[in-house]
Amino acid sequence: MIRLAIFVILFCFTTFLFSQDFTQQTFKDTKVINTHTVETVVKRKLDVRIGHRFGDIGGGNGGWQTFYGLENAADILFGVEYGITDNITVGLSRTKGAGPLKKLINTSLKYRFFRQKNDDSMPVSMTAYGLWSISTMKQDTSNSEVLNNFPEFSHRSMYCVQILIARKFSDAFSFQVIPSYVHRNLVPFNDDNGLFSLGFAMRIQISKVFGIIVDATFPFSELRTRENGYYPPIGIGLEIDTGGHIFQINFTNARGIMETDYIPYTQSDWSEGQFRLGFTISRTFNL
Amino acid sequence: MKKVSITILLFPVMILFASLVADDQADFVIGQSTPVWEVLEHLGEPSPNHQVNESVNGASAEKGKDLMLIGITKKPKRGKTKKQSKHFVCTSCHNVQKEDPDLSLSNPQARLEYANENGLPYLQGTTLFGAVNRTSFFNGDYEKKYGKLVEPTRHDLRKAIQLCAVECSQGRKMKNWEIESVLMYLWTLELKLKDLNLEDNDYELIQEAISDFKGGKDFETINYIQSFYQKGSPAHFITPPENRKTGYGMQGNPENGKLIYDLSCMHCHEAKRYSFFELDNAKITFRYLKNNFTKYSHSSIYQVARYGTSPKPGKKAYMPQYTAEKMSNQQLEDLRAYIEMMAE
Repeated sequence: MIRLAIFVILFCFTTFLFSQDFTQQTFKDTKVINTHTVETVVKRKLDVRIGHRFGDIGGGNGGWQTFYGLENAADILFGVEYGITDNITVGLSRTKGAGPLKKLINTSLKYRFFRQKNDDSMPVSMTAYGLWSISTMKQDTSNSEVLNNFPEFSHRSMYCVQILIARKFSDAFSFQVIPSYVHRNLVPFNDDNGLFSLGFAMRIQISKVFGIIVDATFPFSELRTRENGYYPPIGIGLEIDTGGHIFQINFTNARGIMETDYIPYTQSDWSEGQFRLGFTISRTFNL
Repeated sequence: MKKVSITILLFPVMILFASLVADDQADFVIGQSTPVWEVLEHLGEPSPNHQVNESVNGASAEKGKDLMLIGITKKPKRGKTKKQSKHFVCTSCHNVQKEDPDLSLSNPQARLEYANENGLPYLQGTTLFGAVNRTSFFNGDYEKKYGKLVEPTRHDLRKAIQLCAVECSQGRKMKNWEIESVLMYLWTLELKLKDLNLEDNDYELIQEAISDFKGGKDFETINYIQSFYQKGSPAHFITPPENRKTGYGMQGNPENGKLIYDLSCMHCHEAKRYSFFELDNAKITFRYLKNNFTKYSHSSIYQVARYGTSPKPGKKAYMPQYTAEKMSNQQLEDLRAYIEMMAE
């Protein structure tokens, strides 16, 4: 029975995947600002990415003393994504980390199982995204109160699973909804290991080269309130497509780049000037 | 006395040989599917130097087809080859089907219409259909592009394949068995008499010439047959218009321009098939192309169509230019008219 069910599911998926006239470029890149998009890397192509989040522009840690955050680095990413097929992408990256667990090695798997079609017989694209982050911080055995005390190796791990659902409404406008679940094996006292959230992302294409991108993620947790000092990560940016290169210049209150970092740990407030300049450079190579 | 004895002894041998040749000629009946080379050989034309070398181990037409269409094939012993090129396959720039209604002419407009009728892309490279029937390669102005590299390839198809593999497709050098495999596949694409659009009386004339053939070389019939196809693909590099606002000064036909956009531009740029620069049918894209048409940079279609782009370290995928034979000035104006219409 299980085999039959698997066969039926696979059959449905492959039927959709092999259909033609798919809507192209719902988003131009595999990431908006903080959130991933339904896009995957084309088969046999390697996408080399460098991401950077500077320090707070304003607030107590910003201003002239830090040259409006440019002298600080909240998070830095070096990574690659590779297209195994046109619909399956694997990723490997290293991030500095902005939460209590730092020096992250991130592995990811992305599978696009539905693609929007031009005739609207499939109105949306859907992609599953899985992330496994391992903190490679040095173990601090002297202090059992800190997360990097790491009583067990598994405490270094954090996970995120997402379903990305997007529709390209027109050549100029795309919208995406992102239900997510983040699980951290070790959390601060009184925090929840599991955290559900809902994200939104959109792209407004101004010209062939320039687009405006926006995303936001809202965690569902009684602990993640303004009163407790948590804020939903929100980003706005400019995307520049030069053909082969995608540059993104953005402003966001999220300090971390990875989902396991910015969804549970964003404690910067836009209204206090605690947002930062960030950029991502992506360059695709044929392999 | 000795000479007379040798002559007497050789005479019956010569008679026997001549009768065998005559029998062979009499038995050879041509039809629509008769390969052109076979006919020419029966008229005394020597075999080309790109006949398949059967002694090369591990080569096959099937592997040649794989290499040309997907870039990878099985190694002679086990395992798969490395991809020949990370950037292109042969069919990125060449068709493998007949693409000209009349093989004796290089007429871009006739080719475009034929490509549209037969569901083919309209490409920069000459079709590989009938490549083995050609005797010269990388002709004309390709010397300007590849310099002395073209010299040894001009009359050697194997070397032409290698040059195409390394320079045109920016890939690795092919091994002997791979080149031989490609050659084997190309021989499956050789011209047949039906491809020449011969009349019934042409068949009769050729058949008669074969039957009457007594040795040597029947220049007249060979030349006649070869007048139905080109033995080399001409190539003339031409420049973009000096004034890119006024263009080539011709009225463009947007309907024809749509064919070029769909069959040519989109072949490589749709969904970034071979290019990093994506094209689609969005108004935003047409506006971008329209606004850049008049510029003096690689963003201008005039510029990239006539000069192409160059492979660079780290970005070896490039765009080959269109020669005068592959896209006329009128067609470029048609393309511009279509883009301007779609941008409105």
